[in-house]
Amino acid sequence: MSVETKAAPLVWPEEEDPREEHLLLDPRPRAELNQIVLDAMHRTGFGFWAAVTVLSLLVLIGLGGAWGYQIYKGMGVAGIRRPVYWGVYITNFVFWIGISHSGTFVSAILRVFKAEFRRPITRGSEMMTAFALVVAGMYPLIHLGRTWRFYWMVPYPNQRQLWPNFHSPLMWDMLAIFTYVIGSTLYLYLPLIPDVAMARDHSTGWRHKLYRILALGWRGTEAEWHHLKTAITIFAFAIIPVMFSVHTIVSWDFGMTMKVGWHSSIFGPYFVTGAIFSGVSAVATVLLIVRKTMKLEYFLRPEHFDAIGKLILIFSFAWTYFFFSDYLTEWYGGEAVGKELITFQAHGPVAPLWYLMLIMNIAIPWLTLWNRRVRRSTWWLFLVTIGVNIGMYIERYIIVTGFLQRNRLPFDWGVYNPSLVEVLISIGSLSLFMLLYVVASRFIPLVPVWEVQEGQITHSLRRIGRALVPSVAELE
Amino acid sequence: MTFHITRRDFLKSSAAASSLFLVSGCTADLQKPVWMESYVNPPEETLPSENFWFASTCRMCPAGCGVIAKVSNGRVRKLEGNPEHPLNRGRLCARGQAGLQELYHPDRVQQALKRSGDRSQDQWTPLSWEQAIGDLAAGLQDVDPDRVAFLTGYLPHYQSELVGRFMKGLGTQPPVIYDAQAAFDGRVTLAAASQRLFDTPALPVFDISQADVVFGFGADFLETWLSPVAYSQRYGDMRGQVGKRGYFAAFGPRLSMTAASADRWLPTPPGTEGLAALALGKIIVDEGLDRGGDAIDYQALYQDVDVDAIAEIVEIPVDELTQLARTFAAATQPVALPGGMLSGHANGLDAVKAVAALNMLVGAGEEGGMKLTPEPPSRDLRRAPVSSFADVQALTARMANGDVDTLFVLGANPVYELPAALGFADALASVKNVVVFATLMTETAQVADLILPAHTYLETWGYEFVDPGFGEMTVSAQQPVVQPLYDTRDPGDALLALANAMDGDVVKRLPWPNLVNFIQTRLTSLQLLDGNFTASDTDTFWAAWLQHGGWWSQEAAWTPPTPGEGFGKALAATPPRFAGDAGERPFHLIPIPSVIFGDGRHAGLPWLQEAPDPMTTASWDTWVEINPVTAQQLGVANNDLVTIAADGGEITAIVYLYHGIRPDAVAVPVGQGHEALGRWASQRGANVLSILAPQTDDASGQLAWLDTRVQVTKAEGRRVLPALESNLGVERFRQQSL
Amino acid sequence: MTETTHRWTMAIDLDRCTGCQACVVACHAENNVPVVGEDEVRMGRAMHWLHIERYWVGEYPNIQARFIPMMCQQCENAPCEPVCPVFATYHSQVEDLNIQVYNRCIGTRYCANNCPYIARTFNWFNPEFPEPLNEQLNPDVTVRKRGIMEKCTFCIQRIHDAEHVAEIEGRPVQDGDVQPACAQSCPTNAIVFGDLNDPNSRISQLAGSRRSSRLLEELGTEPSVIYLSGGDAHVS
Repeated sequence: MSVETKAAPLVWPEEEDPREEHLLLDPRPRAELNQIVLDAMHRTGFGFWAAVTVLSLLVLIGLGGAWGYQIYKGMGVAGIRRPVYWGVYITNFVFWIGISHSGTFVSAILRVFKAEFRRPITRGSEMMTAFALVVAGMYPLIHLGRTWRFYWMVPYPNQRQLWPNFHSPLMWDMLAIFTYVIGSTLYLYLPLIPDVAMARDHSTGWRHKLYRILALGWRGTEAEWHHLKTAITIFAFAIIPVMFSVHTIVSWDFGMTMKVGWHSSIFGPYFVTGAIFSGVSAVATVLLIVRKTMKLEYFLRPEHFDAIGKLILIFSFAWTYFFFSDYLTEWYGGEAVGKELITFQAHGPVAPLWYLMLIMNIAIPWLTLWNRRVRRSTWWLFLVTIGVNIGMYIERYIIVTGFLQRNRLPFDWGVYNPSLVEVLISIGSLSLFMLLYVVASRFIPLVPVWEVQEGQITHSLRRIGRALVPSVAELE
Repeated sequence: MTFHITRRDFLKSSAAASSLFLVSGCTADLQKPVWMESYVNPPEETLPSENFWFASTCRMCPAGCGVIAKVSNGRVRKLEGNPEHPLNRGRLCARGQAGLQELYHPDRVQQALKRSGDRSQDQWTPLSWEQAIGDLAAGLQDVDPDRVAFLTGYLPHYQSELVGRFMKGLGTQPPVIYDAQAAFDGRVTLAAASQRLFDTPALPVFDISQADVVFGFGADFLETWLSPVAYSQRYGDMRGQVGKRGYFAAFGPRLSMTAASADRWLPTPPGTEGLAALALGKIIVDEGLDRGGDAIDYQALYQDVDVDAIAEIVEIPVDELTQLARTFAAATQPVALPGGMLSGHANGLDAVKAVAALNMLVGAGEEGGMKLTPEPPSRDLRRAPVSSFADVQALTARMANGDVDTLFVLGANPVYELPAALGFADALASVKNVVVFATLMTETAQVADLILPAHTYLETWGYEFVDPGFGEMTVSAQQPVVQPLYDTRDPGDALLALANAMDGDVVKRLPWPNLVNFIQTRLTSLQLLDGNFTASDTDTFWAAWLQHGGWWSQEAAWTPPTPGEGFGKALAATPPRFAGDAGERPFHLIPIPSVIFGDGRHAGLPWLQEAPDPMTTASWDTWVEINPVTAQQLGVANNDLVTIAADGGEITAIVYLYHGIRPDAVAVPVGQGHEALGRWASQRGANVLSILAPQTDDASGQLAWLDTRVQVTKAEGRRVLPALESNLGVERFRQQSL
Repeated sequence: MTETTHRWTMAIDLDRCTGCQACVVACHAENNVPVVGEDEVRMGRAMHWLHIERYWVGEYPNIQARFIPMMCQQCENAPCEPVCPVFATYHSQVEDLNIQVYNRCIGTRYCANNCPYIARTFNWFNPEFPEPLNEQLNPDVTVRKRGIMEKCTFCIQRIHDAEHVAEIEGRPVQDGDVQPACAQSCPTNAIVFGDLNDPNSRISQLAGSRRSSRLLEELGTEPSVIYLSGGDAHVS
């Protein structure tokens, strides 16, 4: 029985139908949802194959050709030199670790805080985490002078009782990244099981075999759901400190040194904030592409991008705070080299990049993202988020390669320009990330159907008089 | 004779035989012989991996420092200074240590080469030594001796002696002894100055170790001048004296490496250093501070000197000159050094005389720091004096006239090191037969008709009477420290063989069967003298001489300079004279004799190429040092290319803004710009020697290598100077903004 | 292997140093330091274990050049040591020196970044010694291949050599027995090497000099290289 009231009806912004706006209020039959996701997975047209071919080629050139050449000839083919011993490889490493924060942040934190807009976007961002980590994990190897000896960093028992040095931030780094890779892969995999099972039930041939293995015999019993949800909750809580630790430890690679500019206690939260800033932006970029190319407009709606846009703006504020905090303390400290580093950024060879960074990371987000229309506009948001990632890349580039150009002995200042090999490897790794994502998008349901459906069940529209009122049922 | 086989021999030979069988069985070509040498049979003087040290003499510059060579497994691995040697006392400079690479240079001339095409082509036929010597002997037999000429560098002593005897034997003019290093050292001028002032051609030596005030005029004694390691040793002593520290002021237009070590640098205009010395002397005399004794009328000596006029020329106020003069005169042991840069001007001889007089004036001659190198202990150890540049000009003229049929070149690289304006390369075309001794293919060897491959100094014997010597009279020993790497010979040995293949006077002058034999005869007189060791017979002497790296007297054997006839003459205040129009060519060109490459003959050695220049930290290329103010006027900055044009040609170099140079001068390092000399030197940088004006100091005949005027103009393009320093950082530091 | 009783220390008298580069070439010769060539030097990849830094002070005509020979300072509290993940850079208890184990190095270059003296060099490529130049190599020192960090060792092979000789002769190592290649070659005797634990050694006397200081001392790295500043002349 409906209750009639005289109260003024709830007015929706711009008189939209809430069903158009909100995914969770726009339920469709389960079969239809499944079909949208399955269609997206099966669609392999010309564009797909062209992308796969081009990306594979770039990966082959960058990681096969250029990296192979570097291993054969020596690190000298890169642009690094005395005293800039770290170059774009470490920049890329920090950047990709940053990107990898998106999945966990969007998925785990929003899950823990029960942010409902997360539901259709968790899978896509978790996949980013996994693949960004693959790429990031390659860079310490690419960067090694003797890549073929990388396993000496692994603490394995050996006859000569040689152990790695646990004092070294690089060791902490390796351990943190390993933990993060394992944790985030499991965290990607757990919510995937019901969807893989769904795919198994709707496929034949090799796909069926693959999904059967991946689904681990999921039948959807109540016990199974109970276990799964418990596991997901545990992981969601557990992965958050791991995520924070990873980028903090990456920042300690710099912060623990005695280099002026690097040696800073603020680097931990500064890097984490930057990582989330760039990661969430990357999520937006990727989801916009996914939505467009895979026809997932039903699942990925402006409301989601609106929410992501707000997040980006908040993290732009936070990043700016840390940035100036670091800058100001350095400047106020008054140490000669520190001052030199500051003028170096504003007037030196990296100055154009530095200003570009400020524009991309501060000016553009602040000037645009407060606007709801910008946040909901595909192209605008696409450009802004791409810009943020360029800005964040520059930030890492300046911190790694720029700060190394100045030190306490002015005789030994240096310059750095990336070489062709470094550029090719960077392009190759970016291509690898995209290739993995593109290929995986044809195997892994990009939207967690069961989560969306769960959300839709708990959300409903009630008609109160002429007004439509959304109603939410608490799950747990 | 019984045929005796031990068990070991049997095992060895059976192992060798079976390996030979196995190896030959594996190769397709069974005709090919297989040579096997067991590792257990090293050369007799070596034990595997044990280090042996052999003493010898460094030949990387004419100074004659003692070296010891570390030899392991039959190969020399390192050169160090001989701690016993009185000249360098165990120390060795960068050049000396790089001697190793002279030996192991991959581009060495490994066998005698005869030209097969004409001189424009680079085609050579290898030939045996026997054939080369035979051909040469036959050729020389019929030729008019006056049409044979020999051009040498400032050779090792024994070679110099042999060449001299060879030419005497031929009955022709003595060899012309000239190389750029000798010119930089100013040997001719110094000898001439000694001759005029002290009636002896002995080179002056300056013992600065006890000095409390040192004035360096055209100072380069820590880098290239005559005996840099010895001077550096004494410089170190001077700084670190117990209870006092010597004070050092340098006069000269450029802050050289030596001047950079000075407490005070006085940037006098080029060629006026000698005038400054005159003014100082005049002030000392006028103030009655002189203590040179009554034998000389110093007032008369300085009668032509006008302090006010000179103060204007040298750009040092009279007050300051007076202050400097008083400091010098008040010192317990003041020394003034006439550096090599002094004698590189047309007024060089007068300048050196002025500095010598300044020393005498304050008593530095009697018990002080200025000494003369004593005569060798025997006639056998005298050596021919260095020729002046005028002699080279005469030789070039003879060649150009077609008066020379056969030219021998040894230890010099005239095509590279003589000013192009002299026309030596063109004159060479008129010489029918050019014979060059070479270890590396030099520019001169490239245009030769016959190249005779020479031993490096580490493969051969020799001796050197150290001149200038520091105290102890020294005959330094040189011995081979390795087996020769290739089919090379010592040039001296080659001359002996050549003489033996000829009849007549030559063989009478050079009767020795080999080099060792010859050297031993040179040393016999030393056995009777008191030295660092005693030997009763020739063989013991020889062994001890080699073992210690030379013979030297127990006591210091200085000769104090005693004023001669010429000392009383009034000193002339000769102004400098420059080649090139001052309006058209506004800058003085200062070629910098390189502490790294010397006169450029060692540019082929990779250690030296990579060793940074002390002042600019640059390597591998040629730069031009320009005062920042001048650079601004010229509109050039660091790493820009500029053309340096003199009357005699032009070169291109990279701009380096140099704070320690006068705005009216530019300086270019000597040594690069080779067209030959192996893979590391050829086609690299520019050769500043080629554009020098062939002007001489008329009084001594010495090349006035510092008297060329140039124009500097911006050239197309930029080339980053390979340097160690961060220009930016160092400049920021200088401006105190750090 | 027992812990050493020596405290190897080097003193460089800047008043005597003329910047002549003899030590630089001596170091190349002794330690098989490769020559990298023009383009690499231009890039800033010269591999001198010991190089001489030249600073300018003042302005023409009152300009002065200052030379500072710079090499690994063999810090007691070395920043390069803790950051190496594989212990390729570590502090040897046997010699009390900062050791680089070439075999163990994997080339992270972290140590080089953390060295405030910029004293470490990296093998960007394989070194080249075209025959017969390879004969110049010192058999007592490893030839390093590409991808490995290296630096001044205080000529540790010479220290061992002197210790062995002393042991054979049944006596303690005496002052002056150990001479690194740079100190051995220095024409002005600007470089003095010795044992700081021996109160009678020359180095101990120099360390007590009013002129002595250590580079970037304020960082707490406790370097083992002492610089003796230029003295004041008694006349001006």
